[in-house]
Amino acid sequence: MTMTSSVRPAPQSGQAAPLSPAGRKQRKPSTTVLAVPALVWYLVFMVGPMVAIFVIAALHWPGMLQSTSFAGLDNFRALFDDPVFWQAVRNTGVQMVIALPVMIVCAYMLGYYVAQKPPGHKIIRYLLFVPGLISTPAKAMVFYAALSPDGLANGALKAVGLGSAADAWLANPDTALYCLIALDLWAGIGFTAVLFAARLDSVPEELGEAAQLDGAGHWRAMWRIHFPVIKEYVGVVAMLQFLWTLFGSAQQVLLLTQGGPANSSTTLSFLVYEKAFMESDLGYSQAVGVVLFLVGLVGLLAIRRSFRQSY
Amino acid sequence: MATMKFRKSWLPAHILVWAYAVLLAIPLYYFLSSAFKSNEEIFSSPLSPPTSFGFGNFRTAFESADLGPAILNSAIVTVFSLALTLGLAIPAAFALARSRGRVASVMEKVFSLGFLIPTFAALFPTFLLSAATGLFHTRLFMVLFLPATAMPLSVVILVQFMRTIPPEMEEAARIDGASTFGVLRHIYTPMCMPGIATVVLLNFLTFWNEYLYSLIIIGPDPDLRTIQVALPTLKSQIGTDYGILTAGTVLTLVPVWIVYTVLQKRMQRALVSGAVKM
Repeated sequence: MTMTSSVRPAPQSGQAAPLSPAGRKQRKPSTTVLAVPALVWYLVFMVGPMVAIFVIAALHWPGMLQSTSFAGLDNFRALFDDPVFWQAVRNTGVQMVIALPVMIVCAYMLGYYVAQKPPGHKIIRYLLFVPGLISTPAKAMVFYAALSPDGLANGALKAVGLGSAADAWLANPDTALYCLIALDLWAGIGFTAVLFAARLDSVPEELGEAAQLDGAGHWRAMWRIHFPVIKEYVGVVAMLQFLWTLFGSAQQVLLLTQGGPANSSTTLSFLVYEKAFMESDLGYSQAVGVVLFLVGLVGLLAIRRSFRQSY
Repeated sequence: MATMKFRKSWLPAHILVWAYAVLLAIPLYYFLSSAFKSNEEIFSSPLSPPTSFGFGNFRTAFESADLGPAILNSAIVTVFSLALTLGLAIPAAFALARSRGRVASVMEKVFSLGFLIPTFAALFPTFLLSAATGLFHTRLFMVLFLPATAMPLSVVILVQFMRTIPPEMEEAARIDGASTFGVLRHIYTPMCMPGIATVVLLNFLTFWNEYLYSLIIIGPDPDLRTIQVALPTLKSQIGTDYGILTAGTVLTLVPVWIVYTVLQKRMQRALVSGAVKM
């Protein structure tokens, strides 16, 4: 991560400081205290609830108004015996294995294309940004209208004489999960590509020109010359996309399929939501939250490792 | 040179990219045109342009999902959350940008690592917090909560802008007798306006588009719910009217669309820098 660290050399006493200590103090009164409200706000509303996940996961809590009792690892035992949990693990796995590589590879190639400024690249850039502006419910409504039995997809299939291939895409257990992945990709590729294009814009042009003089084709220039330069950045974006997809999928699932049919599109993040707000099994729900958190951590480290700058 | 670069070998790339561009454009076109059609027209010819431009669907969507109060609620939550975000993040960034102490550097680390905590991870505990504070089913809790989710990104972006302000500016103001607050107000805030604009635009998008927390915490009451919560209610289990659904969706996009068109360059830069800074 390109984190901004504020580690600066501490002002040494022997440094050429023209002002006396008193004068220095008067010039720069310490204002660190001004950062405290923001930090407290952040700890109370973000970090506190995160920590609470781990506490609640160790409780028996069968509903908001029920009393709680300490459960130890019982919730996790229940979890690992639950076929629905394993179904959710599988679905999340499929989602990650398909969505993430496809998104990053396509977005990188698309970003490279746009960064070369081909004819019409302004229109493309404008369109690529559109999914980044639309809210999740609006995107879900786009897909709901497009994939419903009388929707755009089936209409298009009928128009080209493939009416027999028409399907109730979101209501079919074989396709529901893939519809959700398609939504991720539809929206994610464009936006990610713009990020890569912006980063590639700042790569010195001589690099590409030198490659062309060497007779390297665009394919080679793209993967062998430009990619290594922005590899670390690609890794950062991949990490963020991973987190957004892993934790955010609850919203799309809730809006489009509610996990169905027959749990075929239940993801881990939706399972947290479902158990908490639909089935009131609160300890169980937050135990899934802990699993999700750990999956996120392991995934982050793995992605970070595989994109480590190698030169 | 430019034309040389795009030889025949680029043909597959052109085709693929434009195919994707069409895939992005078609649903939008479909939405805009369907908003003026009836269900029958949409089903029989999904892609033909509408035959008449009546605002009937918009009116029905507006009334049946109470979109009027919903837009107002979204505006209230967004504006107050933005104000609070700036009120917390500007002084914090000011403090962290100027300070060289160890405490400040630890604080900055905390904010930098905050990117890695996904906003939607702790929905249920946040819901408990709203219940415990007696603010469940209020917009106020969202106004308090949303700035916290925006804090890491906002502080880090602002700190980077404020570090570029030369310390001599402050020294000069100090000699003229300016207080710390005066320095913040008359030097730092005006000089990092581009950073503030970036933070406002980014968070405007996130706050306006926020769905899951609004759904749980503000709840479905038509007097309180935001536009993103109201929108999916147009989709019904028994026979959705797609003309009305699409008209409603188009309405929710209008504010974002206006801001994007007016501030396109700046917005693109904001969105990109929001991710780059991570």
